[in-house]
Amino acid sequence: MYQQILCSLIEKIANGVVNKAEIDRSVLASLEQKTLSLELRELGFPICCSVNEQRFVITGVVERSDCTISTDIKSLKLLQKEQQLTELIRQEQLDIKGDIKVAQQFAQLAESFNFDWGKELSNHIGDVPAYKVEQLQIWLKSKFSFAQQQIKSDASEWLVHEKNLLVTLPELAVFSEQVQSVKADLADLEQRIATLLADHQADEDIK
Amino acid sequence: MSQPHQPNDNSSNDSTHFGYQTVKTEEKESKVAGVFHSVAQQYDIMNDLMSMGIHRLWKRFTIDASGVRPGNKVLDIAGGTGDLTAKFSKLVGREGKVILADINSSMLDVGRTKLRDKGLVQNIDYVQANAEYLPFEDNTFDIVTIAFGLRNVTNKERALASMYRVLKPGGRLLVLEFSKPEHEIINKLYDFYSFSVLPKMGELVAKDGDSYKYLAESIRMHPDQETLKSMMEEAGFEHTSYKNLTDGIVALHKGYKF
Repeated sequence: MYQQILCSLIEKIANGVVNKAEIDRSVLASLEQKTLSLELRELGFPICCSVNEQRFVITGVVERSDCTISTDIKSLKLLQKEQQLTELIRQEQLDIKGDIKVAQQFAQLAESFNFDWGKELSNHIGDVPAYKVEQLQIWLKSKFSFAQQQIKSDASEWLVHEKNLLVTLPELAVFSEQVQSVKADLADLEQRIATLLADHQADEDIK
Repeated sequence: MSQPHQPNDNSSNDSTHFGYQTVKTEEKESKVAGVFHSVAQQYDIMNDLMSMGIHRLWKRFTIDASGVRPGNKVLDIAGGTGDLTAKFSKLVGREGKVILADINSSMLDVGRTKLRDKGLVQNIDYVQANAEYLPFEDNTFDIVTIAFGLRNVTNKERALASMYRVLKPGGRLLVLEFSKPEHEIINKLYDFYSFSVLPKMGELVAKDGDSYKYLAESIRMHPDQETLKSMMEEAGFEHTSYKNLTDGIVALHKGYKF
């Protein structure tokens, strides 16, 4: 029942935002009884968003869908860039069935959301705590950004170091020469030991 | 841990179950009515408390499985306080229609008030009706649902036949009802919860422990998943299937009329 839990949460949040945010009501009205279905490959089930009486209804009922978008979370972010749509479809990362205008209207609605999270939060917990939360969020964001950069640079540095460990052809040639030299020294040493052993055996026989 | 009492399984044509009691067939209806008149006002709060809110997800699952479309005609039998009706009303739109039917006038009153308070008035009708004798013409509805109601019906076979009759060809019946847990450990925990915790909760919140004792007993007396599926098939439904929810504590049965 993950689908129902997720749909329930999205519906609660979406309608909470619609109640409090400044949104383009005309777009919302034009979407009355229209349904957009989103099939994300990572989820494995559809999420269908309908509009009824200026409120969102989120379900898993695909039968009533006016437009169905099948994609993955990564490509979802790219949907905002219209010029990439054709490329995404060509790469089979995106599949759109039905009336694309419905999808565009939903996207337009999402863009028109003007929700002041800080103001809403201060209504619940007060101005000072809300300010502190905002500062904390900025601090966390900068820390995450720094950490992300650090990880990236460490990773690239590691890759460079790793590259130095790769054996190049001249290095291989030198190594082979050294191996040959050691081999020759070893053969020489074996020869000397054999001679010494032969001498020693001869001495023993004389005694 | 208190054990549930053993049900008295000596029902005949003249008698039927009322929880673990055997009562005369004609008495069950009034006894069930008594229970629901008593709990109507506290029904939603108790549902949330008893199921820890999960009943909302079970009902959502039912909606998702219904395949409802704008313009559909939906009959919500034993609709009670209108949870399914509210959602269906939004999904069928202005061209569609939802009938909230319940045999109990108190439940119907609570449901009507609740839905009107939510501003849902345009496409909902209210009918006080017995599921065994649905007062609608043949082939009227695209979808018929009965959520947590079938176990309270005196003659389930007759009710299923009546639902079949009012469905349009191609229409579907969805029965959401308590059922038999799949695992024995869950069954034991569920028994403890039903017979020890639930009546006390009912006593404390709704001041009516007996009604909630009946609830627990009636769940145990309700046919299990396979039996109900067979009953639906006997009533004429095709492509019948069921889906266990929360380990089978609840099951959603679905069947089509072709």
